[in-house]
Amino acid sequence: MEYFSQGFAKAWALLWCMDSATISAVKVTLSSTFISLCIALLLGLPLGFLLGYCHFPGRRFLRLISDTLLAFPTVLIGLIVYAFITRRGPLGEFGLLFTVPGMVIGQAMLALPIITSWVAQSVENLDKRCRETLLTLGATNGQLVLMTIRELRYDVAMVCVTAFGRVVTEVGIATMLGGNIRYATRTMTTAIALETSQGEFGQGIALGFILLLIAFFINILLVGIRRRGRV
Amino acid sequence: MSELYRARNLVQVYGAVTALSLASFAVNRGEVVALTGPNGSGKSTLLRLLAFLEKPHAGELIFHGNGGDPRREVTLLLQEPYLLKENVFRNVTLGLVLRGKTKGLSSAFEAAMHAVGFEDVETMSRRSFHALSGGEKQRVALASRLIIHPTVLLLDEPTSSVDARSARAIESAVRGCISCGTTVIYATHDMALLKALGGREQRLGEVSA
Repeated sequence: MEYFSQGFAKAWALLWCMDSATISAVKVTLSSTFISLCIALLLGLPLGFLLGYCHFPGRRFLRLISDTLLAFPTVLIGLIVYAFITRRGPLGEFGLLFTVPGMVIGQAMLALPIITSWVAQSVENLDKRCRETLLTLGATNGQLVLMTIRELRYDVAMVCVTAFGRVVTEVGIATMLGGNIRYATRTMTTAIALETSQGEFGQGIALGFILLLIAFFINILLVGIRRRGRV
Repeated sequence: MSELYRARNLVQVYGAVTALSLASFAVNRGEVVALTGPNGSGKSTLLRLLAFLEKPHAGELIFHGNGGDPRREVTLLLQEPYLLKENVFRNVTLGLVLRGKTKGLSSAFEAAMHAVGFEDVETMSRRSFHALSGGEKQRVALASRLIIHPTVLLLDEPTSSVDARSARAIESAVRGCISCGTTVIYATHDMALLKALGGREQRLGEVSA
């Protein structure tokens, strides 16, 4: 059990002196997660609204696909994106493999079905009187869409926080597409995996502690959003 | 008085159920019409058609409005109103905001809230939708309709689920609206409301499935 206490002591030391490798992993994790989430939100929000609000042939099938993708193994996403961005792949010329943008593509693919499915579900669950009320108050079709999204803002915020939690703790995509390069593409999760495999519990625990703190703040945010949504 | 609505052979069907079958129906501008009849006679369905929330399955419905978007001239107060996840001020002034109006919202809000019987308008404006009682919700929803000064005010059993005080406030607000020349069409089972608002009674019969 001694290595536990040693690990904790080293973790505190690393955090206290702002170890550059640790800080770099935190920065890469947060920035890639944030960018991938923005991309997924940009695509997933209108797509989810379309699937939840509009009735067109094939809608149910698309919902089924979107829901199925929720259980998509992250390693498989990594594999597919790898096949596309590897030097021999169709996007190979862009040199995305083992770069943060390459990781972002994979992470956005992970977050996209989460956002799409949840937004579609929220739109479907929205009280139908909301649409009728907006129409009877004179909303145009465009205003109807905007006001409905506004009405779902707490649900959308919840989805974002959930997707953030899923992406920030992901390890498969970050390893396959980022390559775990120190000071470049090493994220907190890949660093934990590597340091632990090398017996460096200190850095692993330090990063794990930060990850736990992030998860804690995400949960506080979720509770806050849930509370506001009831208001 | 000029004709505002004319309907002929109006039929509305939901799946295998015929919700409304009306041979003829007309309403003049400024008229007050009370839709009465047993449950399932199609009162709410007719109001939804008059509010352009649905298109009729068969028959024709003609609206002679002021030439603009008919949906902006007609408003419907649902039996169980829906308030957006906003405070009372935003809910009441929403119709004006949707019409692009940004000035004079406070004074319009105050007038609409006074019309439905609220006295402490300032405190009410900040209250959240979830903190309102059933009667308050109904009055706030009515205020959000009155503020836009509609050509036609449609009311679906507006006093069916509110206390006596709220019912009287709603009656008084609608009477004020009628005196301003607004066309009011309301569905009700409430004899007290029928007596208070008056108007021509249009009785709808039971619709066979």
